Amino acid sequence: MKNRMTRRAMLSLTAAGAALALTACGGNVGGSSDASSAEFPNGPVTLTVGQAPGGSTDLIARAAAEGMAESLGVSMPVVNKPGANGALATQEVAAMAPDGQNLILLNASLITITPLAVSEDEVVSLDDLDVLMGLSQDDYVMVASTESGVKNLDDIKNSDKKLSFGTTGVGTGSQLAQELLMAQANIDGTTVPFDSGSPALTAVMGDQVQVSTVQLGEAKPQIDAGTVTPIVVFSKDRNEFLPDVPTAIESGYEVPVSQYRAIAAPKGLNDAAKEKLVTSIQDAVATDTYKDFNKQNMLSPHEVSGEEVVTEWNELAAKYKELTEEHKISLAGK
Amino acid sequence: MEFFGPVLDGFNVVLDPTNLLYCLLGVVVGMLIGVLPGLGPAATIAILLPMTYGVEPVTAIIMLAGIFYGAQYGGTITSVLLRLPGEASSVVTVFDGYVMAKQGRAGTALGIAAIGSFFGATVSIIGLTFLAPLVASFALDFGPPEYTALAMLGILLVATISGGTKIKAIIAAAVGLFLATVGRDGFTGAERFTFGNLSLADGIDFVPIAMGLFGVGEILYNLEERHRVATAPMKVSNVWPKGKDIKEASGAIGRGSVLGFFLGILPGGGATIASLASYAMEKKTAKDPSRFGKGAIEGVAGPESANNAAATSSFIPLLTLGIPANATMAIIFGALLIQGITPGPQLISNDPELFWGVVNSMYIGNILLLIMSIPLIGVFVRILRIRAAILAPITALITMLGAYTIRNSMFDVLLVVIFGAIGYLMKKFGFEPGPLVLAFVLGSLLESNLRRSLLVLEGDPTGFFTRPISATLLVLFVVVAVWPMIKSVIDKRKSGSLAALATQEKEKENA
Repeated sequence: MKNRMTRRAMLSLTAAGAALALTACGGNVGGSSDASSAEFPNGPVTLTVGQAPGGSTDLIARAAAEGMAESLGVSMPVVNKPGANGALATQEVAAMAPDGQNLILLNASLITITPLAVSEDEVVSLDDLDVLMGLSQDDYVMVASTESGVKNLDDIKNSDKKLSFGTTGVGTGSQLAQELLMAQANIDGTTVPFDSGSPALTAVMGDQVQVSTVQLGEAKPQIDAGTVTPIVVFSKDRNEFLPDVPTAIESGYEVPVSQYRAIAAPKGLNDAAKEKLVTSIQDAVATDTYKDFNKQNMLSPHEVSGEEVVTEWNELAAKYKELTEEHKISLAGK
Repeated sequence: MEFFGPVLDGFNVVLDPTNLLYCLLGVVVGMLIGVLPGLGPAATIAILLPMTYGVEPVTAIIMLAGIFYGAQYGGTITSVLLRLPGEASSVVTVFDGYVMAKQGRAGTALGIAAIGSFFGATVSIIGLTFLAPLVASFALDFGPPEYTALAMLGILLVATISGGTKIKAIIAAAVGLFLATVGRDGFTGAERFTFGNLSLADGIDFVPIAMGLFGVGEILYNLEERHRVATAPMKVSNVWPKGKDIKEASGAIGRGSVLGFFLGILPGGGATIASLASYAMEKKTAKDPSRFGKGAIEGVAGPESANNAAATSSFIPLLTLGIPANATMAIIFGALLIQGITPGPQLISNDPELFWGVVNSMYIGNILLLIMSIPLIGVFVRILRIRAAILAPITALITMLGAYTIRNSMFDVLLVVIFGAIGYLMKKFGFEPGPLVLAFVLGSLLESNLRRSLLVLEGDPTGFFTRPISATLLVLFVVVAVWPMIKSVIDKRKSGSLAALATQEKEKENA
């Protein structure tokens, strides 16, 4: 009996401790919120990510949220809701109240490329969202295994053997970029989809496939170590982190494929809240921590306004559609 | 001396008080989140990442690594006490571990698991110290055909290790394989069995299935049982593994550790197959295989050694090649980048202090875990003294929470309820959930790698046999598949005269 009593006492102690900790936290971060509840921000602002924790999208969200939280003066938890390439999280946030308390980190590929691979009723549109600001551009690079002896695009085109080409999955920029290049350069190869970037890169390192297209941040350590050979990057201009590697465009192919990321809120946000949020993003991207983060992850800043993001992404979506139709490419398998 | 210089410097790094403190912090956090199924090390590390920005890179990674392998220790506790395997690699621990708990030997099961985990991890760290660069290329030699063969072998083992009738195990495994096909097809983008529901687009996660079938299913079944007969509360004699137990389990621990070390190097699925293979191996080599599933101590010791060894050796591809072998390693990869260190083939030569600091911290971390878990076992087994009316709802709550934290989605909670009902019915009709869950995990590995292989091999299946590793695995597959038939033939003849058997065998040898 005595034993039970002590246990109960300990339980209530722990509970009290937890409650205390919670209040302490609330006092710390909630500062301005009790002054007027109508004012934004009213408590923590949640940034939802449609990808699993640890991926590049998630890391970008966390880096941005850190600076935004400081600027807004409230905490900014990042919540991962992976599913359907981010469509699930995007639809969920788009349906929330447009009070600025819930934001979503968007991948451009969800708007520009995924619609080419999935059925129409799963397509996510920017119309339901207020895009606040663009963040960065993440380039794709095509790499070849050292064992294959392939050094450049001409080697691939003139290969006697039929080569295998790894992608990071169906409906990704990796697949689109590679398919467009293969179609335009008349390369006859087998496309092999992997589940994500890391296995696609591992497969090239072991010469399981001879070529893969992956995101630069993932491939850079291997390129530096000489375990894979960079062939082309798919951005419009040469990438600042790989100045010696040609772009597909300068080699004469029309493959303007990169990944872009932006932060958005549900449609109908009032101007005051929107302004505050945009300012907080601007503050966040101006910090040295965030700038270093971009460099370490090989991300090129592309900090454009929300309106520009919408225009650019819609243009890209149209462009990709046109290109895939022109070259008779289907991302949904052959 | 050239080799040992940096290794010893690494110990200096670990013994720095700050690093020791972070190591302790890491393993404690790891053990705690390991107890809660669902909230895995990957998510925890992602959340705690900002904490590491201000410290030295080696300190940061020591802590994050501690979370990862600490979680492996914690996961055993719920598997044994509550029948809740938080990860695919601890599913087989449930088979004998939970039975042992029911027999009042929870302390023995947890004790031997802790000892096995410690031993497995230590073997793996020693392997990591001496063999890392040599065995790292093993990960690269595994292409789609090899994974296909490995997954096939794994699924075959699933059918052989089950305790119930073979036909029911195969039915359950088939359902598991079917469930693995749910979701958007990774090759064509086509929706399969999703009924237009985006929540199913990525398929079903392991956790809701395991939590539902094992955890909730068991709770529902027990509720019914209690209405029928007044069951005595579970006996809890707080026994430590005795000398006899340890002797019985030592072979299993040794074999599991080696198996785990090698399979853990493989990105994707290595740890699960290691624990599965270890269990199968113990059951096959045991003098009396019928003890398995009824509280055989080797059935806990082997797989637990294997999954901890595998967890440790999964650092090899990351630290020597720059390949993250699983989601947790991917986040540690990101953490290294943030610290300005590029994980890649040059890590050992560029940052020997970091490499050896992290490797050596694992020796310390595992000792800490062993010291912590032994007294904690005494605390944890008392959970079983709690009356079912109180324990059952708490267990149900843990399963729901666990499922929710995976993707922050209520849909997954609903799935737990659905699979709970299925688990109840399965138990009622004598189907084991183990084969279903394991086949589910291996099913997607098999399907995607088979299709990938056929793409790489241009549709030519002979390619599976011309590659040495996949050929070896397939031969092993055939041996495991055919052996029971041969054995039953031999057994039948044994009932004839012994002399006849001897000639038979001689003939076989000659042939």
